[in-house]
Amino acid sequence: MEKTVRAEMEKLSVEQLKAVKEQTDLEVNLLQDSLNNIRTATTRLELASSALHDLSLRPQGKKMLVPLTASLYVPGTLQDPDQVLVDVGTGYFIEKNMPQAKDYCDRKISLLKSNFEQLVEVASKKKSISDEAGLVLQAKLKQLAPAAQ
Amino acid sequence: MGSSSALRELQRELETKTNDHSKIQKDISKNHQVRKKYTIQLGENELVLKELDLLSDDANVFKLIGPVLVKQDLAEARANVRKRIEYITAELKRLDATLQDMEEKQNSKKEAIFKIQQRIQSLQAGKAKA
Repeated sequence: MEKTVRAEMEKLSVEQLKAVKEQTDLEVNLLQDSLNNIRTATTRLELASSALHDLSLRPQGKKMLVPLTASLYVPGTLQDPDQVLVDVGTGYFIEKNMPQAKDYCDRKISLLKSNFEQLVEVASKKKSISDEAGLVLQAKLKQLAPAAQ
Repeated sequence: MGSSSALRELQRELETKTNDHSKIQKDISKNHQVRKKYTIQLGENELVLKELDLLSDDANVFKLIGPVLVKQDLAEARANVRKRIEYITAELKRLDATLQDMEEKQNSKKEAIFKIQQRIQSLQAGKAKA
């Protein structure tokens, strides 16, 4: 497989190779961005999951400080530690109890992880193609350089 | 001189054709952007629908409208999300059709430009000989 890609690339002209390299570089960057997005989303869900765990340890009626802004806190009591609202996206919120909410987080995390693994595979393939194109391009340019002199 | 005025004519034609071509290219990239937005929304809506379908019928569902959470009927919420998915898929299909149309136009424009360039070249070559 690797060999055939290389052989195909040897046939291309310098301009075509440049275009191929640019195109694949663009795609690699795009995939890298997607991977970063998935990573941040996963950390956010993991944070939510640990916050849920934290919440489940508190007894009902527990006194606490609720952040209204980053620097303004008001005192409050924990009314019901078992019922939570989950933002599922597009403006919908679903009331869940603790195990359901944890299950939701775990499901989302595993979904993201499987997506991440698939993307990593695609990205590394693209990256190797782009590297290959770069190598062939450089070799061609080197060949052309003495001929021009 | 006949040939130079013909040349000017061709060059003017080439210019308008290239303008058209770049305009189509801009439209295509705009189409790509809109499509990307819709694809993201479609994915999000599908995830939401999956969650809603997993719920038991007595679950409480709320919708964020501006700054307030409004309680919603679960069946209604499901129907809403389904309708939205339908709408977005239809919209994506429509965008696909227009994109194909535009790509065809772009290719024909490219060909036309190429032909004019060839004619200009042959005219110039003829003039150089003369």
